[in-house]
Amino acid sequence: MKEIKDPKKLQKKILKTTYLIALLPIISAIAAGDMESLLGFVFGLVVATLLLRLKYNNIIRALNMDMESAEKFIRNRYFAEYGLYFLVLFTAARNPSLNFLAAAVGLFMIKFTVLLLSVKDLLKDTFQSQFDRYK
Amino acid sequence: MIEFSPEVAESIITIASFVASGLALIAGVGPGIGMGYAAGKATTAVRRQPEARGAIITTMLLGQVVSGSTGIYSLIIAIFLIFGI
Repeated sequence: MKEIKDPKKLQKKILKTTYLIALLPIISAIAAGDMESLLGFVFGLVVATLLLRLKYNNIIRALNMDMESAEKFIRNRYFAEYGLYFLVLFTAARNPSLNFLAAAVGLFMIKFTVLLLSVKDLLKDTFQSQFDRYK
Repeated sequence: MIEFSPEVAESIITIASFVASGLALIAGVGPGIGMGYAAGKATTAVRRQPEARGAIITTMLLGQVVSGSTGIYSLIIAIFLIFGI
């Protein structure tokens, strides 16, 4: 993943991998007939996707500012995002047709994917360096 | 030993869970400060080396996506404490 220098390509790769991984819980929920979990998960995933786009747009805007303004801007935007996360989780907690934990997992899917891809890169680098040493 | 009636004990538990959820939300402040600091440094880095803009944006995006998780963990705990799901 670290070889991708274009942020738009990186976003596409993250989203593609996330949706691919998300197919597993979605299919499991459909097979189990648990519609609350399915709806909660999809709700969380959709909001997480939109928040990733929002984060990218905020970063692009922040890079055209000076240091103090960018710092303040990103900090304020983070708290706005925090409020949005609260609204999503609050809605999932109050609505009986949405599963709260499934919504939380849906929100975390992109973060899990990023961590997974980073661990994959790390392992790849480690094994490559070991192979190079023994060549 | 002091004994409370069930109503009083329930009120104490409710108040304690609200206080605990408020305390849990403090954890959401840290990532915001950290992200702001990283963004400030990133702007300086882009000014210094404009050709590395793409790499800086990708690194910053990945960092911000992952660093925001701890705040959401605290939010989930706070909502658990409030609603007792």
